[in-house]
Amino acid sequence: MQYGMIIDLNRCVGCHACAIACKAEWEVPADKGRNWVHRLGPAKTPEGLAATYYPGLCNHCNEPSCVPACPADVVEKTFHDNRTGKTQTLRVAATYKNPVNGTVQIDRHRCLGCGACAHACPYGARYINPEIKNEDIGGEGIADKCTYCLPRVEQGLEPACVLTCLANARIFGDLDDPDSEVSRYVSKGAIGLTSAAVHIGPNSRYYGNKKDMHLLTSTSAPTGTGKPSASLRRGFIAQLTTEMKKAGGLGFLGLAGAVIASDSDDDNG
Amino acid sequence: MSCKVTRRQFLQTASLAAASFPLTKIVSAETGFARTASPPPGSFEGTRTVTGGVCEMCFWRCQLVGKIRDNRLIKLEGNPKSIDNGKSICARGNAGIKLLYDPDRLKYPLKNVGERGNPQWKRISWEEALNECGARLKAVQEKYGGHGIAVFPHGSSAKYPMDFFERVVGTPNISEASFFQCRGIRDSGYMATFATAPDENVDMANAKAIFLLGCHFGENVHVSHVKRYLKGLEKGAKLIVVDPRYSASAAKSDIWVRIKPGTDTAFLLAVMNYLVERDKFDKKFVAAHCVGFQQFKSGISHASLDWAAKICDIPVQQIREVAELLASNAPHVAIHPGRHVSWHGNDFQRLRAQACLTALLGAVGVQGGFVKPKALKVKGISWAKGGEGVEHNLRLLADKYPYSPPGTPSELIRDACLTGKPYPIKACVIWGQNPMQSIPNQQRTMDALKQMEFVLCVDIMPTDITMYADILLPEASYLERFDFIKTGTQWNLADKHQQYVAPRMPLVDAMFECRDGVWITNEIAKRMGHGDKIPVNSLEEKVNRELGAVNLSIDQLRKEEGIHIRDGQDPYGVADDFEVQLYNEDIADNGYPGVPTYIPVEEVPKGFTRLVYGRSPVHTFNRTQNNVWLHHAMPVNPVWLNDEVAEKMGLRDGDEVSLVNSEDIKSTTKTVVKVTPGIRKDIVYMYHGYGSRNSLLSVGAHAGIDDQELITKLAIDPETGCHGMRNNFVKFVKDGKVLDIPA
Repeated sequence: MQYGMIIDLNRCVGCHACAIACKAEWEVPADKGRNWVHRLGPAKTPEGLAATYYPGLCNHCNEPSCVPACPADVVEKTFHDNRTGKTQTLRVAATYKNPVNGTVQIDRHRCLGCGACAHACPYGARYINPEIKNEDIGGEGIADKCTYCLPRVEQGLEPACVLTCLANARIFGDLDDPDSEVSRYVSKGAIGLTSAAVHIGPNSRYYGNKKDMHLLTSTSAPTGTGKPSASLRRGFIAQLTTEMKKAGGLGFLGLAGAVIASDSDDDNG
Repeated sequence: MSCKVTRRQFLQTASLAAASFPLTKIVSAETGFARTASPPPGSFEGTRTVTGGVCEMCFWRCQLVGKIRDNRLIKLEGNPKSIDNGKSICARGNAGIKLLYDPDRLKYPLKNVGERGNPQWKRISWEEALNECGARLKAVQEKYGGHGIAVFPHGSSAKYPMDFFERVVGTPNISEASFFQCRGIRDSGYMATFATAPDENVDMANAKAIFLLGCHFGENVHVSHVKRYLKGLEKGAKLIVVDPRYSASAAKSDIWVRIKPGTDTAFLLAVMNYLVERDKFDKKFVAAHCVGFQQFKSGISHASLDWAAKICDIPVQQIREVAELLASNAPHVAIHPGRHVSWHGNDFQRLRAQACLTALLGAVGVQGGFVKPKALKVKGISWAKGGEGVEHNLRLLADKYPYSPPGTPSELIRDACLTGKPYPIKACVIWGQNPMQSIPNQQRTMDALKQMEFVLCVDIMPTDITMYADILLPEASYLERFDFIKTGTQWNLADKHQQYVAPRMPLVDAMFECRDGVWITNEIAKRMGHGDKIPVNSLEEKVNRELGAVNLSIDQLRKEEGIHIRDGQDPYGVADDFEVQLYNEDIADNGYPGVPTYIPVEEVPKGFTRLVYGRSPVHTFNRTQNNVWLHHAMPVNPVWLNDEVAEKMGLRDGDEVSLVNSEDIKSTTKTVVKVTPGIRKDIVYMYHGYGSRNSLLSVGAHAGIDDQELITKLAIDPETGCHGMRNNFVKFVKDGKVLDIPA
């Protein structure tokens, strides 16, 4: 199973309800977003004048660049497939791609808040939420992003953005099911945003007429190398945070002190 | 409704309470509540669902449910039972909780101990506030008569106080922005043609062609309305958009008519003349329902395609193409009446022309055409009609504006305020309206207010007008009160015919000392000596009695999850006596053109460009500017500038500029330039409602430019007295240097 989302730009009117509903559903800080709407154009395209929207969100990529960037300790995590009854155990850091449903998720209890994953995402789909603290670690916040509303979906509800969309422009479903509406859109030509450098299998896809798709892909496709590396600073913070965790969860305010404490009092962790 | 804040609420709203007084920026406006550190579990987890919400982030009134956790409203959703908006609400609807918990809300009665326009607020008790309102309004009434009081109302909660001041206190001086600066001309124009106000009743969902004149759906968002539009497009309707700007609708159009502003009537006349000359109009409908066809025909015979093409600055072929497309899809064409139509001071004639075009195409009562849904009528309970002060009607005294919408044109009220003639107006009640940002020429509004003996404002949020209040009262928001009873039908007229009744019911208790409009009005009425005329003791009682008249009750509506649905009636068909005045003799007798006529507007002076404004999809004008979620979605209102013009001026996308108009009024704030090929060279465009000057709005103040500040030149529609607001011209100012606009 691979969950995916289609945005039908022929239907989308750019009302921004999806982005605001998401803020309410997940209490996202006002200046951050798990999803967003960028207004594009009016601009000239080879197919004529165009104006459309980039309603963006996490792409839950097939080969997510955020997952290997996570510096948190690797642990074993078992995934249970309710449909088949099978389980799979993977070794994962604090962010991982769920092998059962294909979504990329964050383990909030183990996220260090270092921001390496946000830095690694070529779509800018992750941010550090300073309002959520990792109770075990403390720190400046933890990474947050679109989950495809998995907690809602698991209860049989639609993702919040899909629920509120007046245009039915957002369609959520299983891309591995050839009969799903999302798969039909893929057959019709719905594409993810990729570039020569960045083609990591995005599962949020866009469908629209030629001029709108031209405007979307020419303005909003990811740039960069596709293999962004975590910055040295973030790696350093991650390391310190791990040390701090051992030291017993002192806040970031006592960062230097915490490191010293961990050196001298190793057994308190 | 209790306005007592429980201890629990108090704790929850700790940061709000700390911010209670003085009303300055105390907390981050982002949140009214102390945040928990743990990850939010989602709106479905540990919440209960309350029904009966009816949105008022705009006037469309979508039906809502609320998700409540620990007495806190955490999310609003469309009521799944709704046959109107359904589960959907727009960005503003979703952001309603950020109005409810806005730390900058008005919380207590306030007295201005500074001066009007530069207030200093002192918290006072309701008792003191009401006593002062009663005494001072009564004093003005006794000294100058009821007509010495002017009322500027807006919104469903303002109807009851408006009726009190009109019917009991006896003032005709009531001016609603929705009439005199927005849709009033549309209603008047259609009334004078179809004998009915059109609202937005075109059956777009079932149209074969949709014709939009200035409507920019997508940027203008009303949920069920946009659903109809999108359904029509999905089913293959051809879309014609007439707009000087490549709007959200133009981007979805088959034909974009990039018309020169102010010339729309010429365009419409040419289309109609083309249809008439070539016998491409609905002769059967015209014969059965239209009067004055011969006068109409000869009256528009001058309107050739060439004539209009030159005036409108568009290709001849394009006008023909539009006319042919409409004719070939008639009668299933939706000629949209528009919403905000106060453009150029020549608008009544344009609205008449739109109605006439609808009739020529036979697009009345048919699928896709002008069709009025058959909703249940629920009669409102209000103050008994009586001494409306008709003899003091400024319009009648001046023998002006025979086609005025209900109430008194704003300009006549300001004239009387500023001249004292024909009589002085010395008190003002402003209820939910923000005339500073809705009425052009702010200086005249300020001067009118300065000469008042008393100014009362009632609102939910501070606005630019509340800075001019002597007493400022906090009203309960739409999520905290009973109110308006919304009625309607299923959104797609072609679906099973149903009717719904949805009274607004509170989703949460009123916070702080906020009170509803019936309570406030009644308390003022008692203190003005009119306690004996009070028609209803509470808003809840009012709604319950109104529902009772259609055999419903609040209890019943609660059982029915906020919405009562019953079988409806087929809205299609035309009544035999439906009459269209193509030529209106009454209008001619009043000295105006009886056949729709194009009246040219002032040309853009050299070095300037025309300022045109419209709606942002995430704002309802200035009302939502302080909503922190909506603010972050569009923090400023970029000024759209044609790319070729920008290049000549050396301006780039994102440059910071201010504007100055042809009367040398400078914008107090700045915005950024949006460079695009999607706009004519002779206009600039921006979203309306930004740039508030009330510093109590910790999020919205000084963000973007207030276009209304620059709309100083008045253009009054001669038939209706409504303001046209697109006859002002601006230049750019960058780094202190004024930049001329190249021709």
